[in-house]
Amino acid sequence: MRPFEFVAPETAEKAVAILAENSPNAKPLAGGTDMVVDLKHTNAVPKVVVDLNKIEEFRGIEMTDRGLRIGSLVTHTEIMEHPLVAEHAPAMIDAARTIGAVQTRNLGTLGGNLVTCVPSLDSGPVLVALDAEVTVVGNDGRRQMPLTEFFVGPRKTALNPDELLADIIVPTAMLGRATHFLKFGLRKGQALALVNGASSLRLDGGKVADARIALGAVAPVVIRAGKAEDLVNGTDADEAVLAEAGDLAAGECKPIDDFRASADYRRDLVRVLTKRTLETAYAIAKDKG
Amino acid sequence: MMIDVKMTVNGQERTASVAPETTLLTFLRDSLVLTGSKLGCDVGDCGACTVIVNGNAVNSCLMLAVQADGKDITTIEGLSDFEHLHPLQAVFEQMSSFQCGFCAPGMIISAKHLLDKNPHPSKGEVQEALSGNLCRCTGYTKIVDAILELTSEEASAA
Ligand SMILES: Cc1cc2nc3c(=O)[nH]c(=O)nc-3n(C[C@H](O)[C@H](O)[C@H](O)COP(=O)(O)OP(=O)(O)OC[C@H]3O[C@@H](n4cnc5c(N)ncnc54)[C@H](O)[C@@H]3O)c2cc1C
Repeated sequence: MRPFEFVAPETAEKAVAILAENSPNAKPLAGGTDMVVDLKHTNAVPKVVVDLNKIEEFRGIEMTDRGLRIGSLVTHTEIMEHPLVAEHAPAMIDAARTIGAVQTRNLGTLGGNLVTCVPSLDSGPVLVALDAEVTVVGNDGRRQMPLTEFFVGPRKTALNPDELLADIIVPTAMLGRATHFLKFGLRKGQALALVNGASSLRLDGGKVADARIALGAVAPVVIRAGKAEDLVNGTDADEAVLAEAGDLAAGECKPIDDFRASADYRRDLVRVLTKRTLETAYAIAKDKG
Repeated sequence: MMIDVKMTVNGQERTASVAPETTLLTFLRDSLVLTGSKLGCDVGDCGACTVIVNGNAVNSCLMLAVQADGKDITTIEGLSDFEHLHPLQAVFEQMSSFQCGFCAPGMIISAKHLLDKNPHPSKGEVQEALSGNLCRCTGYTKIVDAILELTSEEASAA
């Protein structure tokens, strides 16, 4: 690894000041599962690495008046083991469980995952399907935005170089919502998603309402399949509707061809994933009554 | 730039001055001469460098030594002494679970981490817990069998 300077400030305000002072030659470090690989194997070594791990306010999971708040430094393992997540947003656990292996989940953080903003990031779809919002802290204070605005493009977020992701909030209205996540990879263990996605919905008079279908790895960022959502709203999500929703979603995504899979195969997976996640979300909603 | 760190490694307090670009793995191997943890892929895929930090199995190739400041670390060397093997080591030996042995320290550390959290795992849980540890010799069967053998022995002894 090429040499760099290392600082571990104790507050978000100090951290963003250091980032601003050294911009654009400073970079934040969380769990390091992406960043340390980059430090070793790319030329993108910053002059200053700003370790966020001492910033207490970036930790923890708690209920607030706005909803379930998850600090950006919370690891995937902590999400999997937290009772508030199990109770209010269990699909987040299903997504966390598919990330890397035990070692990756013990180090890797939710914030780091979202900031990498790779199209296949596994924590993205459930959070998009639950209208998650993020808090960004910078030198001029804090701002809040929907996660869908935070994701700008492949490996590009709305963060300025001197800003940090502080936390992620699942809004109160979306807590306990019927949600289902699926990931298709080439293996069961430690595989990047060919396609991942989540559907969430509620029932209104027994019919689907406000459906959200979020798809990952099939467009520059996580997308919502709006046409498929419109189609399922107001229905009983029967076979025919689900099949058509799958077709619509497949048409709404723009997957790439690469060495892992062809665009056609990915589109086929979207068809299946959309159907299955809707079907299961609907069953969960019915079950809740 | 050098930074002073203090950590507990296998029950012993260690202090050192490290360059920030040193990984925990390099620190353990080169400075503390604890060469049980292996450098395999160097990108977090293979698990040969797995150690336990504050109760969590992590890839020490992805952690900076400075980030381990103040932490409690267990490496394969911390499981046994020259006279006594850890039960996991003994059962792996008894069941001939390794050939070349390169993945062994990481495998055993991951297995220990699993059993610390879940003393009676199912076969699926063992496979899941080891999915971040790659073995290119034995094909995993005997490794999984060894862990299940140990937990069933303990169950019948209890
Ligand atoms: C073997 C292996 C398997 C993996 N498998 C998967 C997988 O299946 N699915 C998946 O989605 N990912 C996977 N990953 C990627 C990675 O583990 C995750 O994205 C992880 O959540 C990243 O978090 P981190 O804390 O390690 O981030 P870091 O590596 O510390 O940081 C990642 C990036 O985010 C920035 N950053 C981190 N935190 C903040 C913050 N609070 N504010 C601003 N910027 C920040 C850093 O500057 C850096 O650019 C895998 C990685 C490895 C090594």
